[in-house]
Amino acid sequence: MIEVLNLCKTFHDRKKGDIPAVRDVSFSCAPGRVFGLLGRNGAGKTTTLRMLATILSPTSGTALIDGLDVNLRGGEVRKRIGYLSGDTKLYDRLTGRELLTYFGELAGMTPPSIAGRITELQVSFGLRDFLDKRVGKMSTGMKQRLSLARVVLHDPPVLIFDEPTSGLDVMGAREVLRIVLDLRSKGRTIIFSTHIMTEAERICDEIAIIERGSILAQGSVGALKSGNGGGTLEDVFVKTVGEVTSDT
Amino acid sequence: MRDGRTVIAVLVVPLVLYPGLMLFMGSIEAANKKEEQALRVRVGVVGEAQLPGLPERLRSLEGVSTVPLDKAPRSMESAGVDAVLLIPSALAGLVAKGDSAKVELLYKDADHKSSAADQRMQPVLDEVRRELTVMWAQSRGARVDASPAISVEDRDISSKAETGRFMAALIIPYILVFMVAAGSMHIAIDATTGEKERSTLETLLATSTSRGELVIGKCMAVITTALAAGIVGIFGLWFNFSVVANLMPGLASQSIQLSIRPEQALFLLITVLPTAIFLGATLVAIGCFARSMREGQTYATYVYMASVFLGLGSFRQLGTPPLSRFVIPILNTALLQREILTDTVVPAHAAITLGTSAAMAAIMLVVATRLFSNESVLFRT
Repeated sequence: MIEVLNLCKTFHDRKKGDIPAVRDVSFSCAPGRVFGLLGRNGAGKTTTLRMLATILSPTSGTALIDGLDVNLRGGEVRKRIGYLSGDTKLYDRLTGRELLTYFGELAGMTPPSIAGRITELQVSFGLRDFLDKRVGKMSTGMKQRLSLARVVLHDPPVLIFDEPTSGLDVMGAREVLRIVLDLRSKGRTIIFSTHIMTEAERICDEIAIIERGSILAQGSVGALKSGNGGGTLEDVFVKTVGEVTSDT
Repeated sequence: MRDGRTVIAVLVVPLVLYPGLMLFMGSIEAANKKEEQALRVRVGVVGEAQLPGLPERLRSLEGVSTVPLDKAPRSMESAGVDAVLLIPSALAGLVAKGDSAKVELLYKDADHKSSAADQRMQPVLDEVRRELTVMWAQSRGARVDASPAISVEDRDISSKAETGRFMAALIIPYILVFMVAAGSMHIAIDATTGEKERSTLETLLATSTSRGELVIGKCMAVITTALAAGIVGIFGLWFNFSVVANLMPGLASQSIQLSIRPEQALFLLITVLPTAIFLGATLVAIGCFARSMREGQTYATYVYMASVFLGLGSFRQLGTPPLSRFVIPILNTALLQREILTDTVVPAHAAITLGTSAAMAAIMLVVATRLFSNESVLFRT
């Protein structure tokens, strides 16, 4: 379960002064559901997700991950999450197996449990053919499958995906979405950020449209569409974001 | 071991490059000496007859041929000589009267052959000084049937082992400091700024390992590499100077016996450890601060240069250094290591060095951890 409560983040720039990146964001996501954060580049999606992953500290507000406060129990929160960002890279000099072993050790897993989990994942994520290949010599699709395996290696109940399909071709993106849906069916709580409407429409149970750090609209895909007089999700997005842009 | 640059810094550079360069420089020096010995020079002599015995003495010099001249030539090149020995006429009379008399050797330091002629003539000039003194003494009625055979000279009687000990005390502290800095530089920046640049940092920060543990882990990796570079560097020196130089006849003159006793090696390691931690943590802190690999490497180069200069400070230190030198990081370690290698350790020096280095290492570890935990530094763009 994820509960985000009035989360704010302001960056300070010596020349520009305070730059609010996330303003008073609140939402929640239950186990077995996918919550989508839909927004343009620079809307505040990554900053929000980084705060949930305890990579950044909130300026104010908080979030509860499995009931644990990100401000107070960061270490325990990180044990319960798997975080994947689209522009996150892996260590080119390691093989797939070495990489998974390394992250398993960082997660506090024992060597036998790491080995057992790798055996499980190489079947479900189709890693068998390249697990002992160096990451630097893998294709983008192979790397992304390995990244997903890394995220779920320690079997976290909460998964945070920040534009995980960015840079992937159609087949690679479909594979990622299939895995995300599979994880949802296994009862994981999933936050999924994207700016691709079709992706959001396909896998998200609930969507929040975020622009300039604030949530402008929130609800199921159907509710958002009907609330905006029908049309596609893209129409809803353009209308919602466009209203704010034209206001300023 | 899959990072080519670290392998080069830790193994190839200390084991092959630096000892190889030192041997190469030594062999060039030996070749130059050989060439110099084979050089034949011509010396013009004005007033050869003024000093009895001088012509024979000049002819006995190896590689020197003399040309009698009536007067000093306008140019040595036109006279076809490399140097000119000027002895004033009526020298004996001048000396007997107690007047000043000057015998000069004209040469050109800027000319290689002329400079060699000057060096070859030095024993003759010593003899001239002695002859003149004898001449003066005779004129004053001293009974001098023959010139006294006075000789003042220096002779190096050090054994190869003693030379090796001296060289070890001189070179090893410097090499250790220098190798530790060189060995830690690349990996420290790669493990910090490199993670930012390769976009692997976020992945790492999202693991359950705390930031403090991550920094300590990174520092440990840097320190291990730095120590490995230092140890390999010393092994490289020993191997090249004690083994390779003995095997190659052309380098035999360069061979020395570099020997370190086990307890000395242990003390060297103990002393280098806090310095390796200090340097490793400093470079990791720099890596946390830097925005890009290029920026990180620029800052790291300054640290490296500072280490090299401080190490050089120990190289130039003669006699017992003042106590204040032992509070300067890096320099203090090099100075203490020199004392260890010459069996002259002063307990106060050891205590101050280890205390200061450990304190500096602890401070830099705290700084590195703080910077790694500070998101405005870690994610600054």
